[in-house]
Amino acid sequence: MKVNVLFFGATADSAGLREAEMALDENTNAGQALERIFSAFPGLIKNHQPKSLLFAVNQEYAKGDEMIREGDELAVFTAVSGG
Amino acid sequence: MGAAEEREKQNSDFFELTGDVLDVGEIARRVVLAECGATVTLDGYVRRFTKGRETEHLVYEAYRPMALSEMKKLIEKAREKFEIAFVGIVHRLGKLEIGETSVVISVGAPHRRAAFEACEWLIRELKRTVPIWKKEVFADGEVWIEGDSAETKGGSNLSDI
Repeated sequence: MKVNVLFFGATADSAGLREAEMALDENTNAGQALERIFSAFPGLIKNHQPKSLLFAVNQEYAKGDEMIREGDELAVFTAVSGG
Repeated sequence: MGAAEEREKQNSDFFELTGDVLDVGEIARRVVLAECGATVTLDGYVRRFTKGRETEHLVYEAYRPMALSEMKKLIEKAREKFEIAFVGIVHRLGKLEIGETSVVISVGAPHRRAAFEACEWLIRELKRTVPIWKKEVFADGEVWIEGDSAETKGGSNLSDI
């Protein structure tokens, strides 16, 4: 299944792009999807502690066991720093 | 704008992202209600020195749709926690010079104490959960600032990874 992956700020710099389409296996959960993203964009784990990154699915902070669906919008970003 | 429309505009929360210069007074007046006695407004602006390093300017970026939905959730939670009427949050994006306002949070309430407490709570939570990032640009380089939200949460929101 196809999903859209978004990066912002520091993770966009590390991934080398801001948006990518990825193919994931059926029955992939959020934790597994994030591992796939780390493999596809090695700059992420080169430049960031994996545990420090935040992960959103369809514009909500994700839970690791949440199932990913075709067409979902995934986003990987660093701890937020607005204000 | 007619009187009815003016009232309609005031009688609601608002949360916005904009590339435009923020008019703090205008934003603050938008949460004023006849039933209320105080509005507390935070005017957050760009600081020249952070930890001894001199900032040239800042660049703010947001995950726009998620930032707006997180701002909406914060306002809903604030109303559950505090005796407040209405909240307005406006965050500016793009390039900001020293001293320019980056965020305005206005809280209108019948009494000031709840407005102060809610405003402090809202900015603290905004800096922890709303997906907006700032890049500090110096004379000799630039860096994306990482907040402390991951620490606060004890690591990633996927802590089992």
